[in-house]
Amino acid sequence: MKLRDVLFLASLLLLCPRPAGAQEEVRAPAASWIPEDAVFALEILRPAPLLEMLCGEKATALVTSLPAYRRNEETKEFQDFLGLVKLLEADLETDWRSALARLTSGGFSFALCPGGAALLIVDGSDADMLQSLHGVLLGIARAEAEKQGKAERVSSSEHAGVTCWTFDDKGAHALIGTRLVLASSQEALRAALELQAGDAGASLATVPAFQAARLAALQDAAACLYLDLARLGRAPRVQRALEENRRNPLAALLLSGMAEALRQSSWLAGALRIEQDALVLEATLNEIERDPQGPAAFALPAAPGDGALPHLALPRRVAAISLYRDLARFYAAKDDLFPERTSELIFFENMMGIFFTGRELTGEVLAQARPAMRLVVAEQEYDLAIGTPLVQLPAFAAVLELDEPEEFAEVIEEAWQKALGLINFTRGQQALPGLIIDRVTHGDTRMTVAYFSSAGAEDRARLHQRFNFRPALALRGDHLILSSSEGLARDILDALDQDARQAPLAGADTLIELDGGQLASLLEANHATLVRQNMIEKGHTMEEAEAEVSTFIALARLVDRLELCAGSLQGATRFRAAARLNVEAPAR
Amino acid sequence: MTARTTLSRGSEAGPAPADPEQAWQPYQPGDGRPWNLALAAHLLRRAGFGASHARLQQAFAAGPQRTIDVLLRPEADAAAFDRAFDEHEAAAADAGGEHALRGWWLRRMLETPHPLQEKTTLFWLGHVAADGSRAGSARLLQEHVRLLRSQALGDTRILLASLLRDPATLLGHGAEQSHRSRPNERLARHLLENVTLGPGAFSQEDVQEAARALTGGFVRDGRYAFVAREHDAGVKRILGRQGSFAGDDLIDVLLEQPATAERLAQKLCRWLIADEDEPERALIAPLAAAFAHEHDFGKLVETVLRSNLFFSARAYRRKVKSPIEYALGLVIALEGVVSTTELAKDLAALGQELFRPPAAKGWAGGRRWIDEATLARRHNLAADLLRGAGRYGDRLDPHQVARRHGCEREDSAARFLVDLLLQGDRDLDAGALLQAVHGTSGGPAAAARALARALARFPEYQLA
Repeated sequence: MKLRDVLFLASLLLLCPRPAGAQEEVRAPAASWIPEDAVFALEILRPAPLLEMLCGEKATALVTSLPAYRRNEETKEFQDFLGLVKLLEADLETDWRSALARLTSGGFSFALCPGGAALLIVDGSDADMLQSLHGVLLGIARAEAEKQGKAERVSSSEHAGVTCWTFDDKGAHALIGTRLVLASSQEALRAALELQAGDAGASLATVPAFQAARLAALQDAAACLYLDLARLGRAPRVQRALEENRRNPLAALLLSGMAEALRQSSWLAGALRIEQDALVLEATLNEIERDPQGPAAFALPAAPGDGALPHLALPRRVAAISLYRDLARFYAAKDDLFPERTSELIFFENMMGIFFTGRELTGEVLAQARPAMRLVVAEQEYDLAIGTPLVQLPAFAAVLELDEPEEFAEVIEEAWQKALGLINFTRGQQALPGLIIDRVTHGDTRMTVAYFSSAGAEDRARLHQRFNFRPALALRGDHLILSSSEGLARDILDALDQDARQAPLAGADTLIELDGGQLASLLEANHATLVRQNMIEKGHTMEEAEAEVSTFIALARLVDRLELCAGSLQGATRFRAAARLNVEAPAR
Repeated sequence: MTARTTLSRGSEAGPAPADPEQAWQPYQPGDGRPWNLALAAHLLRRAGFGASHARLQQAFAAGPQRTIDVLLRPEADAAAFDRAFDEHEAAAADAGGEHALRGWWLRRMLETPHPLQEKTTLFWLGHVAADGSRAGSARLLQEHVRLLRSQALGDTRILLASLLRDPATLLGHGAEQSHRSRPNERLARHLLENVTLGPGAFSQEDVQEAARALTGGFVRDGRYAFVAREHDAGVKRILGRQGSFAGDDLIDVLLEQPATAERLAQKLCRWLIADEDEPERALIAPLAAAFAHEHDFGKLVETVLRSNLFFSARAYRRKVKSPIEYALGLVIALEGVVSTTELAKDLAALGQELFRPPAAKGWAGGRRWIDEATLARRHNLAADLLRGAGRYGDRLDPHQVARRHGCEREDSAARFLVDLLLQGDRDLDAGALLQAVHGTSGGPAAAARALARALARFPEYQLA
């Protein structure tokens, strides 16, 4: 579809020039126009607050300050688009934002059906204006076709008593009173029209799963979404993706709880709400009993009150993941979970046997770790006396809790030093510098730290990537810290000091938090590297690459915080995702 | 002056001169052997990676000798360009490793104001044939290429002597340590057999003695170190010469040998003139004699490029394009810049993975670039580059290039593309070709892409 066609369809959305209410009419719910086999449906019930957040003055100011926007605003296509918007604003005697708000005052619904058919139903409030504006746009399209010496681009036909329009034989649309129906094909449009005429079978509105999903969505939602997981799960591509997740041990460890719940559920209902500057999506799966003996039971909190721990408050934190995973139980089920990877796992187990001096991995090593574990990623601060790497990688760390820390302390220390020794041996074989092991203290905690010598470094502002790593091991009480950098290990120790032991979030098995501002800061620190990478990966000029990278950083900064919580919450399997937007963020 | 009026068949390049002296005399255009766009394109393909329409016109207007002057000593600030790209490459090598480095070198080849230097650097990369997989560090490879570039058109003695202290060369040939008690023969053998004399021109004793001369050389933490106590300072006898030779002396001994000059001149002729014809010794003799005197590789290259032989039928379209020449030629002609990291992957699949020569003799080249599989892959690469979407995006737009040069109408745009890519070397009715591809949906831009794809499949386009 060409830009001009997109503009035409987009313009169709700007069709409500008069205040709502003048010609309100009773309409059947959009869901009763959507075929019952829809796999995905999104209903925007209260569009005004959403539009204010995404298209309001602040958001517009942010978007127009983006480098990519500034680069494109001089292009002919963009000027054409602006010209069209101005033309419509003049015709409607209002600005585009007001027009858009009026257009969507009745909400709109989007649905995807098997085979890729898509349907968008927009409820406006002024049928006369809808018709007259439609006429204007058709006139523009016809004039354009004539100018290009091409045949008629717009055609129409009658179906179920309604005029169906097509534009360049791509997509189709129809106007019924104040409702505009856009479809990806004429067939999809006809199916919707037949449903509204009562000539076809059941609609989505009559599907019990959809009804249940709607009920599960909160009443104050700005939007609801529905996903037919049973139908979606039969799609070969989805099946493949779920299978791959099952076969990869790391992915299974991280995602199995969620993936298993999705696999077992027949529908997912989502409610989108706006809380101050945050977009909050709460998704609920239909009631299922999570099998305490099933393959994903290692991610199932064992007792009431168990769950993932709250995140640690750390400086420069980019991301935090808190999980409830019973590692011993996970590894004990390896033969059932990954039957085709037995040889790799045996190799892994043998290696672990070397590090842990013959201890049995499941019962004597992994069983030491309590299920609540936390992972953190943070931007690094570099010691100026050592220097700064050219590529600044974030530090990452795992914080585990041990059942018998005193008995296990030397075991883990020995394994850690063996691992460092192996790294050094391997690097030594390649004549590469190795790690120097040191013992340092932080408060009353002794840490084992390993570092690369920077003696002889020629340019301390452009150190090698290895200087991002200064691996550290620390034990504080029953907490075990494994960190890629000494600095992060120290920050974690401070955080553990300051945070009283917090109660877990009962029922939650996965908590994830991403800090957009900190991510933007990390990307900014690697700006030159990212620009260079963009140039050779996309064939961009330096100016193009600068604009793209700066836009990406600005978008990262726009997301102040992204939070995800998943687990058995309030009696059902739920996911809660919240995106807190920072619309005040300045773009570079 | 339009392309049509100045284009002539490449086959109109004059016959090959039989007399060696005549062969290396500078080419002077005349009635029998006119200078035309086909020969200008021939020069820019061999001395670089191809040319845009504007560059072709510039070369045609300037004439052959003036164009070669600029190829040897570019008017643009090549030093500033090299400094900027050295920085990009060093940073990419540190940050992204070998793959990013490949991407930057290809990008440099596309944009350099000194394409002859880059092309000759590529020649030396294949000639030295250090195995990059053994270097363990992209930064060492970047330094290796930088060294090759610095003397690619310069003093071969300095280049060879510097290579003996280049960590990537030593690591790439398994010569990262050479003890007095156990001289490492690998680099010595490679130096004699592949870089200088050639097979049959030395004995096993020469290799052993050369290896003694190289003792004491080590690579430690990515740096070359000469350990005097590990160097065998005793007298060596190499190729009939006797002395307490060290590495630099060894290079002198090797360069004194007529076989070295002959071999380098021969290899350069295959690189610049024709793949398959083994140049006769008599033909090579004047070149070898001149090189043996000064060891100036730039002069050798200059002599070949200016020669009657280079502009004769013996050279014209007598080389199979390497994958790099094939792909970059298309990108340069269509005035675009594409993802060079993607391109590096595709070139590897076509048999030319930078820093990974398949053997100690480098890339065999010539007809061995093409077999059924690689030919299909070449076609696929051209299709991908010209798809207008996907991995290479819409960075190449033949229709826009034609319009930019005044060919607005579809038939003139088609003629323009045929001339740009094939320079009249095949009798083609551009209108009919355009008609053939016009069934493609998407209008003139898509038709121009389809035509360019079709042209890149012709046998003539596979030849440099």
